[in-house]
Amino acid sequence: MKAIHRTLVASAIAFGMAPSVQAQELIVGFTRDADTLDPANHRNRETETIIRNIYDGVLTRSSDMQIHPEVAESFTQVSATVYDFTIRPGITFHDGSALTVEDVKFTLDRVVLEGGMGGGQSSPRASLMGPVESIEILDESTLRITLSEPWPLLPAMLPHQQIVSQAHVEAIGADGMATQAMGAGPFRLAEWRRGDSVILERFDAYYGGATGIPEAGPACVERVIFQVIPESASRVAALLSGDVHLINELPPHSMNQVNNSPNAQVMTVNGTRSFFLALNNEGEIFNDVRVRQAVAHAIDRDLIIDRILSGTATPIDGILSPDAFGKNHDLPAYDYNPERARALLAEAGYPDGITVTLDTEGALRDTAEAIASLLTNAGITTRVQVGESTLLTQKWRTQGGPKEGDIYLTSWGNSTLDPFDIFVPTHRTNDRGNAAGYSNPELDALLDEAAVELDRARRGEMYQQAEAMVNADLPYVYLWVPQDIYGVSTRLSNWSPSPDSRINLHRACLD
Amino acid sequence: MTLTRLLERLLQLIPVLLGVSVIVFVMMALTPGDPIQIMIGDQIVTAEQEAQMRRDIGLDRPMVERFFVFLGNAIQFDFGQSFYHRRPVADVILERLPATIELTIVAMLIALVTAIPLGVLAAVRKNSIFDRIATVGGLLGVSLPGFWFGILLLMLFAVHLNILPVAGRINYGISQGITPYTHFLLIDTLLNGRLDAFRNALAHIILPAVTLGLPMTAILMRVTRTAMLEVLRTDYVTFAQAKGLSRQRILWRHALKNALIPTVSVAAIETGSLLGGNMIIETVFGWPGLGRLVVESIFVRNYPLVQAAVLLYAVIYVMLNFFADILYTILNPRVKL
Repeated sequence: MKAIHRTLVASAIAFGMAPSVQAQELIVGFTRDADTLDPANHRNRETETIIRNIYDGVLTRSSDMQIHPEVAESFTQVSATVYDFTIRPGITFHDGSALTVEDVKFTLDRVVLEGGMGGGQSSPRASLMGPVESIEILDESTLRITLSEPWPLLPAMLPHQQIVSQAHVEAIGADGMATQAMGAGPFRLAEWRRGDSVILERFDAYYGGATGIPEAGPACVERVIFQVIPESASRVAALLSGDVHLINELPPHSMNQVNNSPNAQVMTVNGTRSFFLALNNEGEIFNDVRVRQAVAHAIDRDLIIDRILSGTATPIDGILSPDAFGKNHDLPAYDYNPERARALLAEAGYPDGITVTLDTEGALRDTAEAIASLLTNAGITTRVQVGESTLLTQKWRTQGGPKEGDIYLTSWGNSTLDPFDIFVPTHRTNDRGNAAGYSNPELDALLDEAAVELDRARRGEMYQQAEAMVNADLPYVYLWVPQDIYGVSTRLSNWSPSPDSRINLHRACLD
Repeated sequence: MTLTRLLERLLQLIPVLLGVSVIVFVMMALTPGDPIQIMIGDQIVTAEQEAQMRRDIGLDRPMVERFFVFLGNAIQFDFGQSFYHRRPVADVILERLPATIELTIVAMLIALVTAIPLGVLAAVRKNSIFDRIATVGGLLGVSLPGFWFGILLLMLFAVHLNILPVAGRINYGISQGITPYTHFLLIDTLLNGRLDAFRNALAHIILPAVTLGLPMTAILMRVTRTAMLEVLRTDYVTFAQAKGLSRQRILWRHALKNALIPTVSVAAIETGSLLGGNMIIETVFGWPGLGRLVVESIFVRNYPLVQAAVLLYAVIYVMLNFFADILYTILNPRVKL
C-alpha cells in the first residue's frame, strides 16, 4: 500500500498537483456561482455574498448583526421619514476615481426608480429599499433619503445595497455591469469564470471599511477565490484535502469528520431562518386551537434537534429567533407530552385521533418523517408527502385564496433579525408567507402599529406582545432556528460566521 | 455520402427543432411555479413592485404571445434574456458549453479506449475467468450511481492520497497567460505550449471524466463483446482462419471492423445522453458545464435558458446520429446513406 501511495504521490508531483505554497490565496468552497456581478440586478443571497467583497455599502453589518456606517461616516434620523447620511471623504473606487455623494445617489436611484436600470428595466431589488420617496444631495458630503411613510427597517436593510461608480455604469451600461464589477470594496475583480469561480484580488488603496469594526485597512489576504462546489460532500472533501480554506453549508452529519481532521474545524452561528409547521387554520381540523396545541405537545423538538440536526438548532416558542430584536424571552413552551396531546384531541371531539398529511420539500424529508412518527404516536396519524418547493409555495402561500392541505413543514428567513420582515409576511392576514391562513385583526393592527413606531423600546415591546399572542393562538407550531454551519481551515484566522450568511473576507487572514 | 444527402439531413432538423420548441415551451409554461415568487423568496415586496418585476422579464404577457415572440426571436438566434443572469441566454449557454463538451469527449475517449479492447478480449476468451470478471465489472459500472462513485473517488484521490483536485477546471495561478483559442483547456494549454498548465487541466478532468465514462465503458464493452462473438462465428472469419491468416490480424483487422458498427451507434447515442448525464457529475465535481446550469435553471423556472438549452441538446442529438451514420459508411462500404 505504501508503495502504491508513493507511486501515486510521485505521479501527482509529475502532474503538477503537489501542494504549492500560496499562503495569500484564500479559497472559499461555495455552494453556487453568482448570477451577475451587478449589485442592483439580482435577488439572490449567494450572489450578494460574493458581490459584497467587491463593493461596499452605505451601511454594513458586523458579524454580531450590528449596523455600522461604511461608505457613510455617520447617519442620523431627522424625522420619522427623513434620514441623513454623511459620506466619508477620501474613498476611491478600484479605478482610482473618488467615490462621491453623487455616486451614492446614483446607486440608490438606480435601485428605487422605475426604469432605473436603463432600457426600461427596473431593479429587482427595489422592494428592499422600502417606501422611498426621494433621494437628494444636500451638500457635497450629505445625502438625504425621504420615505413616503415611516419604515424603521431602513438602516437594517441598507447593507443590502452596494455603491457603484456612476461614471463606470454610464461607460459600460447595464449589460456590462453584469460581468465587469468595479466597486470601492476590499477586493477588485480579477476574473469571473462562469460556473467555476470568482477570482478577486486585494485592492491596495482600500480605505479600510467600517470604522466601527476593529482592524480596518486593506484586506489581509492577497487573493480570494470563490470556488463553486455545489455538492456538499465534495465541499467537505475539498476542505479536508486543503484545496479550499472555508466552506459554507456544511451538512450536520459531516461535523465530526471535519472536527476530527487535523487541518479543519467547524464553526457555527445561529442562522436567521425560523422553521415551523404551518397548520391549515382554514381547514376543519386545525381551526380548533386545541388541535393545534395537541400537535405542539406531540413533538419532541429536543429529540429531533439532537438526532437529526446533530444539536445544531435552537428551539423557539414564537416566530422570532432568540437573537432577533423584539424577541419575547418569556414565552411558555409547549412541552413534549403525548398524553396531553391525546387529551386535547379528545376534548376537541377527536377521541380516536385524526389523520393528516404533512407536506414538505425533499431536503426536509428526514425531519418530516421524524415529526410524522411523533405525531402518529400521539394519535395524529400523519403521512409525509414530499413535493417540490415551488409547487408547495403555490399550494400553501395562497395570499387569501382557498387552501388545501393539513400541515406544511417550512421556514421563513429574517436576514435583518428585525421582526418586521418575518412577522408580517407569515402572520398578517393574507400576506405572502401566511401559509397557515391565519387571520387575527388584533394582531394585524399591532403589527401595523409596530411597523411605523419610531420609539425603539416601545416597538420592541409591541413585538414581544405580538409573540405572546401567537404563542397562545398557535397558528403555527414553532420549531427551531438552525445554525449555519461552516467548515474552516485551521490556517484561517480573524473570520467568524455571520448570522445573515454573508462571508466578508476583508479581515480574514491565512497563515 | 453526397452533398444533397447532407443538405437533406440538415433540412430534417427544421421540423425536429420546431417540434422541440413547441414541446419545451408548453412544458415549461405549464409547469407550476412562478419565477417571480422564487426570485423574491422570503423578502419584502409590494404588489406593485412584484408586478413591475413581472413586466421587466415579460411574464405579464399571455402565453400564446410569449410563444410567438420566442419563436420569432429564436429564428434569428435570439433566445432572450436569462431571468436571473440578466444577460442574453445565448451568451450564458455558450460560456458553459466548452467545459461540458470537453468533459464529454474525454469521458467518451476513456470509455472507447477501455471498452473496445476489453470487449474483444471478453469475446475471444468467452466464459473464461476474464470474461466473467468483465461481465461483473460491466454490471457494476452500469449500476453504480455516478454521484456516489464520484464522491468515493474524491475521498480516495483528493482527500486520502491528496493527489488530485476536487473541483474546477484549472488552477487560477497556473492558467495565467493562456490564450483561449478553442476554450477546450486541454487543447489551449498545448497550443500555448504550456505543459504545466496542461498537466493541471488533465488532473482536474480525470476524476469527472472517469466517473462520467464508467457506465458508458460498461455498456460499450458489453456491446462490443456481443457483436464480436457474432462476427467470430461468421463464414468469412472461418475462411480467413482457413487461409492461415494470423489470429491477431483476423481479430483486429477483419472481425473488429464489422463488430464495431453497433458499438459506434451505441456510442453516438450514449454521447448524447452523456451530455445530459453531465449534470450530476458537474455538480459533484464543481465542473462549470452546461448540465448543472440547465438543472439549476429548471428549478428556478428560468424559462428562456431552459428552452434554448433543450433546443441545443436536440441539435446535438440529431448531429450525433448523423455522425454515426457517416461512420457506418466508413466502417462498412456496403452501407449507404
